[in-house]
Amino acid sequence: MISYNTIIQSILSGLLEGGNYALYSLGLAFVFGIMQIINMAHGEFLVLGGYIAYWLLVKWGVNPLMALPVAALLAGGTSFLSYRIFIERIRTTVELNTLILTFGIGIFLSNLYLQLWSADLRSISVHWMEDPVHLGGIYISLGEIVTFVISFAAVFFLHLFLRRTKTGKAIRITAIDRDAAALSGINVERVDLLAFSIGGALAGLGGPLLGMLSFVSPNTGLHITVKAFILTVLAGVGSIPGLIVAGMMLGVGEALTVTFVSSSFRELFGFTLFLVILLARPSGLFGKRG
Amino acid sequence: MKLGNFFQITEKTAAFLTFGFVLILPVVLSFNPYYLSIFIIALILGAVSLSWNLLAGVCGQVSFGHAAFFGIGAYGSSLLVLKAGWNPFGAMIIAAFFGVMGAIIIGTPAFRLRGPYFALSILGFAEVVKLLTLNLTWLTDGSQGLFNIPALPAIRIGSMTLDFFVSRTTNYYLAAFLMLAIYLVIYFLRHSNTGLAMSAVHGDEETAAGIGVPVFRTKLLTLMVSAFCTALMGAFYAHYVHFLSPDSAFDGSWSVMPIVASLFGGMGTLIGPSIGALLITGLDEFIFKQFFETGHKLFFGILLAVVIVWTPKGLFGKSIRKK
Repeated sequence: MISYNTIIQSILSGLLEGGNYALYSLGLAFVFGIMQIINMAHGEFLVLGGYIAYWLLVKWGVNPLMALPVAALLAGGTSFLSYRIFIERIRTTVELNTLILTFGIGIFLSNLYLQLWSADLRSISVHWMEDPVHLGGIYISLGEIVTFVISFAAVFFLHLFLRRTKTGKAIRITAIDRDAAALSGINVERVDLLAFSIGGALAGLGGPLLGMLSFVSPNTGLHITVKAFILTVLAGVGSIPGLIVAGMMLGVGEALTVTFVSSSFRELFGFTLFLVILLARPSGLFGKRG
Repeated sequence: MKLGNFFQITEKTAAFLTFGFVLILPVVLSFNPYYLSIFIIALILGAVSLSWNLLAGVCGQVSFGHAAFFGIGAYGSSLLVLKAGWNPFGAMIIAAFFGVMGAIIIGTPAFRLRGPYFALSILGFAEVVKLLTLNLTWLTDGSQGLFNIPALPAIRIGSMTLDFFVSRTTNYYLAAFLMLAIYLVIYFLRHSNTGLAMSAVHGDEETAAGIGVPVFRTKLLTLMVSAFCTALMGAFYAHYVHFLSPDSAFDGSWSVMPIVASLFGGMGTLIGPSIGALLITGLDEFIFKQFFETGHKLFFGILLAVVIVWTPKGLFGKSIRKK
């Protein structure tokens, strides 16, 4: 018999996990919303961030939270280089070309990780993460709370950046009408490069969190990309705050699937939800219709 | 100075040259079993690449998850033989229809939307099918995999016996025959009215719909044919290697390599992908693996990126004319 507490417990962990899903998807959703490019290498940028935090901890004992900026910077740099070397050159051709191109970059990166760091699952373990926090009869680990706060902050600051800063506004205008943006003096090529690099940096930020909560491996990347895409569609393309809600829906759904069905069918929930959304409301929960 | 400026051949000539090469290759390799086994896989990949490219090159729908159909065919056929005692040849055909069913399940929702939605939905689909294969242990034996999958039964033609259990050569030629059959299906389909509809959808969906092409139905039909052929090759693979696990049957390579092969050989041609498959298998086996033993596939990532940026028509795209 599944107790009342167990259900509350799994809903709560689902909500917290869902906040992290929002961060894991943020880079992909941002780049897709602004540039209409699905970055198939998104998951690999994220995994890179995870590996960086892992090696900083193992080699020099660096606190994974201190590794966050380094991870974001290096993943952002990799993303910057990918854009300058390859994507920039075919930006104006068929949409499917950029899809295949970023897919290729992803294959390159994941096999590079495999070659350099083997197929082992790398988990970033820190003691304080395991510290329990009791709320009534419910137990949550400190790590779950800390990562949730970081994820939430990242989504919030990206939203603020897009709404309040001049650069953010330039990025949004370029997404709405490229030609008008160019005419009003915005350097749209620079905006593209910036947006893609920010997307990579955001992915890099998610990596250490993923490593702390579960693990990273060369195979994790593609899996994350699929999940990020599902969430982006669920939230509605272009809706950054919608990611939090969509992430939480997915998180809770997965947690309840684990509680009531079996942990092996956890991943099935997201995909089923995705197919239902595609059929019933392809513009997503918070996207504009049509 | 591109390759295409130097020599130009027609699609038909290219196909004759390719299959001629495939026919004599075992003689050149003096029937060395090790090399034959490499090229059997190359032919399976070639046939899957032809099917992938029917969908992507002809109809314009890129799939990142053809491993789903390959695995469905492989498991479908093996289970029919192992658990229901079917004849492997009949099981292969029915397993190919399982692939068609998979195509309907994923194509129906995913083709309502355009472009990248399909590519990614099918990637998710491939993950889910693999997950189900891992977890429906009562049917698939889960991660343990399927052992002792019977080889195709020997065929007697007059006094000649084609044995598929021991002989690599007969398996090689059967793979070649399947690749030829798939090529012919694709060739005639491309030159039918349906083929015209496919290329209209590729060109511009709205215009195609405007002149009365049933866009959704055309895309779904193309996916069904592509899935049938891919699942058929998956089934052949199962009876050739005798062992399946979710990791081998649904290996991401069966999704990735057809893309690399098709781009390399030329997505605008029909025969190009199979040439690409033979070439990249050779490159992988004799060059890439010498550099990096575990991460050798990183070269395919570079290849994919370089081809799409600098020669999007592929290595032979300009050399092979349509007519």
